[in-house]
Amino acid sequence: MARWGMVFDLKRCIGCNACVIGCKQENSLPDGVLFTRTLSEEYGVYPTVNRVYIPTLCNHCEDAPCEKVCPSGATYTRDDGIVMVDSDKCIGCGSCAVACPYDQRSELSPHLFKDGLFGTGEITPFEEQGYVRYTPGMVTKCDFCSGRVDEGLDPACVVTCPTDARIFGDLDDPDSKPSKLIREKGGRAPLPEKNTKPKVFYVNWTN
Amino acid sequence: MATRSRDLPIVGDSFNVGYRFQRYWDTPMANAFFCGELGGGIFLVAAFLDFMPGMLAGLLLTCFLKTYFHLSHMGVPMKSWRAILRPDRSWISRGLLAIVFYAGFGFAYLGLAWLGLAETLGISETLVGVVKGLAFLSALVVATYQGFAMSHSTAIALWSTGMMPVSSLVYALSGGVMVNLVLGWNSVLAAQPELRGAVLTAGLVLMGLLAVVHLSLLHAAYHGSPGGRKSVELLTRSYYAQWYWGVTWTVGILVPAALLWSAGGSYAAVLIAAAGVLAGYYSFRVLIFKAGLFEPIMSFRP
Repeated sequence: MARWGMVFDLKRCIGCNACVIGCKQENSLPDGVLFTRTLSEEYGVYPTVNRVYIPTLCNHCEDAPCEKVCPSGATYTRDDGIVMVDSDKCIGCGSCAVACPYDQRSELSPHLFKDGLFGTGEITPFEEQGYVRYTPGMVTKCDFCSGRVDEGLDPACVVTCPTDARIFGDLDDPDSKPSKLIREKGGRAPLPEKNTKPKVFYVNWTN
Repeated sequence: MATRSRDLPIVGDSFNVGYRFQRYWDTPMANAFFCGELGGGIFLVAAFLDFMPGMLAGLLLTCFLKTYFHLSHMGVPMKSWRAILRPDRSWISRGLLAIVFYAGFGFAYLGLAWLGLAETLGISETLVGVVKGLAFLSALVVATYQGFAMSHSTAIALWSTGMMPVSSLVYALSGGVMVNLVLGWNSVLAAQPELRGAVLTAGLVLMGLLAVVHLSLLHAAYHGSPGGRKSVELLTRSYYAQWYWGVTWTVGILVPAALLWSAGGSYAAVLIAAAGVLAGYYSFRVLIFKAGLFEPIMSFRP
């Protein structure tokens, strides 16, 4: 059984946010809801100023705090390590959202499904087919595009990335691209002091 | 080298690196926590005094107002019953179970002891005492579990401290003492002046404990992580400072302590002190949610 993970190559990311759009389309996300973001940061003092882009998404932690605190059993981890949310079981209490150190949970307020993407109260056919996977009021997150992964495809953000800054693969396979990158370039997990054992790593994070 | 600087800004929902406010648990949740803990505290103190109206007030506050505010916060309220399913790992589930026991044993005790059903049904005093004891233990869990639920989250440094459940219990007991003083001043406490004096002293001691709890909470968060330090700054020096020092401390601790110390024999003073403690308690509950911050996952700033 694979153990899926992702690597972000910070030297390759150009902050185009194509991944964000690809994710929104693939997951039919309502207005204002994002499963991935590309954060930017400027640092340094003129004339040596730099800007770096830091992609973020759910880290599918092995010791997922969101799963531990979920009172309804809606959050669970698949055998392949993908942390999922069962939309039939989620009660929208938000305890997972305050437990995630990476702020990667999204509340799907019921009004989002009534207002629609354009805020006019009209739901487009695209939204209609996409919203069926969600329960209004639930709290959800990135699932590594589990449907695509089950079919042998990469997540939408990975295939959308024009610079190959997002690399997806089996972390248990030493010959997989992410495993090699982590090994060779010193993959760094976000907020390691939180002891959540993320399955998302950053490489080329030094200047 | 990527580090996390405590000087990073608070960035809201923007696509920038920085601290982010937790926005998932807000005022309805603060209301629910306030009503739950206060209800539990009122019941605990009233049970200690064997003061039935106090016990009833505590039960009603927890069972109705807390439940109402929780349901108004819940995204899918019709499925709220599912929150009871994971007591093995979730403090929310444990708390909900405790509320069920608290309501069950609490109302059962009032029925048996206050309405006289124990005599009518021929139930022994020992069994009535056991029911009261179970209600008391459940109320203790209700008064503290929310602190455990918050301290369980390592994501928000301000909450991730062992002082959270302690603050829940001390605030619950403080509120409980003050409300029972107000409710029982002319009844159970009027008949026993020594008991009234003891409860007043307990109130004063609890005010002192509250101050210690606050200072410990701030100290733990400040030295816990950069995010905790930022939260403490929000509470004590920037956005929320006027509320924190003005309402939580002055109105909620210092003024009530001064009133109990100097004019504890006056009902008016007790009434004002009780209102102050409840206002301070409520502001603490709201501010602790508002000042909760997520830390930036990494930063390149030196």
